[in-house]
Amino acid sequence: MSVSVQETAATTVFEEPPLIGGKPTFSSITEKISGIVEGKTKKAWFVLFGLASSLALILFGSIGFLFYEGIGIWGINNPVGWGWAIVNFVFWVGIGHAGTLISAVLFIFRQKWRTSINRFAEAMTLFAVICALVFPGIHVGRVWMAYFMFPIPNQMQMWPNFRSPLLWDVFAVGTYFTVSLMFWYTGLIPDLATLRDRAKARFRKIMFGIFSLGWRGGNKQWKNYELAYLLLAGLSTPLVLSVHSVVSTDFATSVIPGWHSTIFPPYFVAGAIFSGFAMVLTLAIIARKIYGLEHILTIRHFEKMNMVIMVTGMMVGYAYSMEFFIAWYSGNEYETFTFLNRAFGQYAWAYWIMISCNVLIPQLFWFKKIRTNIPAMFIISIFVNIGMWFERFVITVTSLANDFLPSSWDYFSPTIFDISMLVGSFGLFFSLFLLFIRFLPMVSMAEIKGVLPQADPHYYKKHE
Amino acid sequence: MKLEQKIQGKEYWRSLDQLADTPEFNEFLQREFPENASEMTNPVTRRKFLSLMGASIAFAGLAGCRRPVEKIVPYVTAPENIVPGKSLQYATAMPFGLSSYGLIVESHVGRPTKIEGNPRHPLTKGKSNRLIQAEILNLYDPDRSKNVLKNGTVSSWENFSAQMQSLMGEFKKNKGAGFAVVSGSFASPSMFRLYEQFKKNFPNADWITWEAISDENIYNGMELAFGKAFQPRYDFSKAKVVLSLDSDFLLTETDDINATGGFAKARKVDAVKEMNRLYVVENAFTSTGAVADHRLRMQTGMTPAFAVALVEELRSLGVSVKGEKYNVDGTLFDRRWLKTVAEDLVKNSGNSLVLAGRRQPAVVHAICAQINEALGANGTTVVYSELRDALRPTVDALVQTVEKINAGTVTTLLMLNVNPVYDAPANLEFKQALGKLKHSISFASHVDETASICEWHVPSAHFLESWSDVRSFDGAASVIQPLIEPLYKAIPTLQMAQLFVDGSAKTDHEVLQETWKKKLKGAGFDRMWRKVLHDGVYADEPAKTVQPQVRAGRIAAALQKNPVNFVRATVKNLEVVFAASPAVFDGRYANNGWLQEMPHPVSKLAWDNPAFISIRTAQALGVKNEDIVLIHVNGKRLKIPVWILPGHADNSLTLTLGYGRSAAGRVGNGTGFDVFPLRTSEAMGVAVGATVRLTGETYALANTQDHGSMEGRPLVREATVEAFKEHPNFAEEMVEHPPLESLWKERPYEEGNQWGMTIDLNSCTGCNACMIACQSENNIPVVGKEQVRNGREMSWIRLDRYFSGDVENPYMVYQPVSCQHCENAPCEQVCPVAATSHDEEGLNVMTYNRCIGTRYCSNNCPYKVRRFNFFNYTKDLPEVMQMAQNPDVTVRFRGVMEKCTFCTQRITRSKIDAKNQGRDLVDGDVVAACQQTCPADAIVFGNLLDPKSKIAESKKSPRNYALLGELNLKPRNTFLAKVRNPNPKLADYQPQV
Repeated sequence: MSVSVQETAATTVFEEPPLIGGKPTFSSITEKISGIVEGKTKKAWFVLFGLASSLALILFGSIGFLFYEGIGIWGINNPVGWGWAIVNFVFWVGIGHAGTLISAVLFIFRQKWRTSINRFAEAMTLFAVICALVFPGIHVGRVWMAYFMFPIPNQMQMWPNFRSPLLWDVFAVGTYFTVSLMFWYTGLIPDLATLRDRAKARFRKIMFGIFSLGWRGGNKQWKNYELAYLLLAGLSTPLVLSVHSVVSTDFATSVIPGWHSTIFPPYFVAGAIFSGFAMVLTLAIIARKIYGLEHILTIRHFEKMNMVIMVTGMMVGYAYSMEFFIAWYSGNEYETFTFLNRAFGQYAWAYWIMISCNVLIPQLFWFKKIRTNIPAMFIISIFVNIGMWFERFVITVTSLANDFLPSSWDYFSPTIFDISMLVGSFGLFFSLFLLFIRFLPMVSMAEIKGVLPQADPHYYKKHE
Repeated sequence: MKLEQKIQGKEYWRSLDQLADTPEFNEFLQREFPENASEMTNPVTRRKFLSLMGASIAFAGLAGCRRPVEKIVPYVTAPENIVPGKSLQYATAMPFGLSSYGLIVESHVGRPTKIEGNPRHPLTKGKSNRLIQAEILNLYDPDRSKNVLKNGTVSSWENFSAQMQSLMGEFKKNKGAGFAVVSGSFASPSMFRLYEQFKKNFPNADWITWEAISDENIYNGMELAFGKAFQPRYDFSKAKVVLSLDSDFLLTETDDINATGGFAKARKVDAVKEMNRLYVVENAFTSTGAVADHRLRMQTGMTPAFAVALVEELRSLGVSVKGEKYNVDGTLFDRRWLKTVAEDLVKNSGNSLVLAGRRQPAVVHAICAQINEALGANGTTVVYSELRDALRPTVDALVQTVEKINAGTVTTLLMLNVNPVYDAPANLEFKQALGKLKHSISFASHVDETASICEWHVPSAHFLESWSDVRSFDGAASVIQPLIEPLYKAIPTLQMAQLFVDGSAKTDHEVLQETWKKKLKGAGFDRMWRKVLHDGVYADEPAKTVQPQVRAGRIAAALQKNPVNFVRATVKNLEVVFAASPAVFDGRYANNGWLQEMPHPVSKLAWDNPAFISIRTAQALGVKNEDIVLIHVNGKRLKIPVWILPGHADNSLTLTLGYGRSAAGRVGNGTGFDVFPLRTSEAMGVAVGATVRLTGETYALANTQDHGSMEGRPLVREATVEAFKEHPNFAEEMVEHPPLESLWKERPYEEGNQWGMTIDLNSCTGCNACMIACQSENNIPVVGKEQVRNGREMSWIRLDRYFSGDVENPYMVYQPVSCQHCENAPCEQVCPVAATSHDEEGLNVMTYNRCIGTRYCSNNCPYKVRRFNFFNYTKDLPEVMQMAQNPDVTVRFRGVMEKCTFCTQRITRSKIDAKNQGRDLVDGDVVAACQQTCPADAIVFGNLLDPKSKIAESKKSPRNYALLGELNLKPRNTFLAKVRNPNPKLADYQPQV
């Protein structure tokens, strides 16, 4: 299939500049993206993968020691029963939000600029959710009994406690992971078929052959595919809202001041999108640079993402200020204390890191210069993720450390194992991500082609 | 019974020697343990324990009370009374210096597991304290000495006794010249009989007593005042006004249980017409100071001056205190405070009481006696009785003995249950003196600091392993009956003493019976003996109460000789005060993990004994918490960390004795700092002229409560008596909240037993007895200093301590917090696996097997009373210590949450018993461990639906309030608000120091 692009000055079919830069053809897109998967592995990849997998090994080693010794190796104590494990869990689940949002919600709203980043974001979602799922599994005291949490028929005739938000988490995150996986995989099928067709080695042929599920690119297949994709997008959309809402109920349904708050579900969702977009941005900037995808991942994509970051950042900022307002307005002394203590107490440093990174720094995106400056946005995206990790830390730890009875107040300090598991989880995340960009097309070829000018039925001609 | 004959191979059965030869026993041994006969010489193994257990069962079963029997049968022919899994209770007693505690000990198939007070005993009245509770752990201490040692190598009791018999034969020739005994002080008919016999046999030998912390000053004071060392006994229940001069009578002084009980009784604001009032003068905050209505922080060294000033103040109010006028600088003390206290004492003449702490010099005690006499307290709030069968402790005797050793006139020293190398006054250089002896014999439970450098060491049996007797202050004698055979090769004290008295090899039981056969003359010794054993008290010889008259001339003469110090300590010239540790006392409990981990009642520090100082002194010295300082006093130096204590007197350092041991065992070794090197025989209580220098080093301390302020929250609710009378419901009214309504229909809990508890904050003295009782009853692990520092202590009930008011001179309150058993329990809702749930009797129960350890319940507990097993804390528990575990309570594994169960095992036990007897449970059937122990009777527990129950009545108190009740948790455990009775004349008055 080759379509020659008509050279014309009238390229402004869209109101906005084109989503894909350069002058790509369908085949150039295929060549470019498949080439990454099929070509020789870059040295940089080996270096990065070596680094990431070493960190992942630290995670697994730490988990092994954790199982052997008990969760006392962490810094958690009596008032602070949840430490970094839960902070990391919420953090990673939050990161995992952007994928579904970009894929499903933006798909339904026909935001075509999503096509360049959706595969990327979806993969990131899956890996982030995998990292997230590690933590609730290992953070329990008796990990060998963790299966009690699942509603498995058993001789004890015991159901889990359906009133517990932790159980809701099990279902919410489980569902989210399953649907995200299906959604991602469905979107991959046409591209997998492309790779199968281009494969030369026998092993590749078989593997891609199996996973492309007999895709031939026929009209009927495309029709079914589009419908399935739309349905899955529809299915995923409420999940964007539900997962982090449910995760937030872990805190919101409790009685602890600082946790017991009705603002949590929307606030958590906004925060999740915020951090998810920041993480996509971080990864996309690196991948774009290494693999030379400047024309596919254009500055316009980044600008739009920065706008989302700025908006959700302000939503999060609104939630922070609202918490303070309600703490004062309610007249509840415990609530008031908790929030004042957050800002001015023993964890004030964490609070102000959170405020700076999440509320103040993203304000720089008001300036178009910064919004479109790659190094600036890269740095800001990292700040946002630091800030969002601290947000979860502030919520989880400061509320527990200073709750109702001052007698039980205590200070949480992380141990080397808290740190190794956080760092290790990044290792796991990047290992999976590097494997993904090495073996699977990181940008959806089929969808990119759909937003090329050639795909427009009117083809460079303005609608009359 | 000749016990030394058949020791080889079967040492456990030593006093059951006859049993060892019976065919039944041989058969039993052959069948049950064919290959393990040799194993019995080793330290306790499980098999050995089982065999021992078997014997103990049969043993216990044959007599109503446990006593030696001539014959024993294998327990296959099950004796009566023994139901496996069911505990038996035996009465016994615990000697403690001159004092003693009557006990009831719970035994599970021959294994004592829990100690409680004997209701018939005058000094315990069924209650107990933290030390008594912790004795169980001392019994099973794996570091106890296991062998007779000669110069550090294993020897045997036969060798030892043979050599001692010949040695004493030598001494017999010169009537004991050159021989000296140092024992702990005691009040025991049998020991005293042996003592007298010894003095008769060896008139030239010395038998002196040594206690590092003793009531010597009190007896000397009585001697000064009355000419004879009477035993003062205080009745706090009759005292309307009490002035304590540096006396922590509710915790660390003698007779603490009685004092706490009596004091709490006079403070039951609902029951008594007029609540008592307590004034305390002390340097460092104590439990007693916490309960005080008015507390004057004052350097300990100034207390004698204060006592003298008080006498003058009383005289100026027209009280005729005998003796000459003292010259007191009127500006030295807060006049208004002093005057008001004096007026109050006078106003309540006959119902007032002044007492001083044991570290105050004798003259202060004499002055107190003088004041009490003048106020007409004698006969009501204080009575005097004669000491009987008692050997008083004296420092001077020890000083003289050491002099004799150094002079070579004492060549052989026997030390009975004392550890002078560790705790003797530093100026005696006891360790060096010990090296000059020809023979030194240490009889001690551990190879301690003294034993490890003595020629001979003989392991001393625990009181739960040996026969003996004690006599309490009011004359009641108690027999100490053993609950178990000595676990190691330990020798009972009476047996050891007897060996030195006449070389005979009588068993402790024989020695004891010899004493008691004289006592229980007349018909049926056996019957009466059994009754004494059963009751635990023989009250037929009540102490004679005396009405002595103060001889003022003697006091004046003493003051002339040693004038009262009127000069305050300054920051360059500090005073150092030595205090008994509320946990390890004088060091004897240093190897007891429960007590080491028990937080200090004021500082809430565990596992350490920093020097306590005031905020102002800390500022002046430029030190902060955990800084190590170097203290110089009397030419001695000590490095120790400091801890700032609110309410501490300025320019005063409080050092806690009993820590920093080097040969206590695995728990006590190197725990804390040894402050004995600063303590000399001249300054046993207070040393003056100390200087402090910063070293720049720091030392990490483990604190169970970091935050001392209530942050203005209505947690401990408190009012004055006047306010209470005006607004009896003040506690409930302190918090305004919307109506507590539920969104759904709540479980009514209208049937059966609905358990509830109240804790009277007005009675609680923060003594920690409940905490240790709970630990013993519920198998709560010890986690160690590191874990306590990490905030992972496991105690199911904790004593929250809050300060209020002025930082330098605050009030202190306690609040015991355990699981509140909320009907709307937040923990239950959030557990994903339903491991914590509610039962039909209103208990919030934990299913350990179901718990996966998410810790969500703990997070969501507003009281933070849940405790998590972060590690497998019981993994390394020595086998012998496992014997201390209560078999009715699960030992929790790593990764499991635990918390107070309202002693559900006791509830179940009582229900089974009631069912077997075909009746319903009645009030008082179920007694929780904390409630049982509480010497102040602050805890009431029972069935809320029983309208006649104590708990139903207690819940009706206007002071009743639910902690955080506004959260609509409906806790079953509620508190009775605290009421203080400040003197209106000192209302809103900050004493000037």
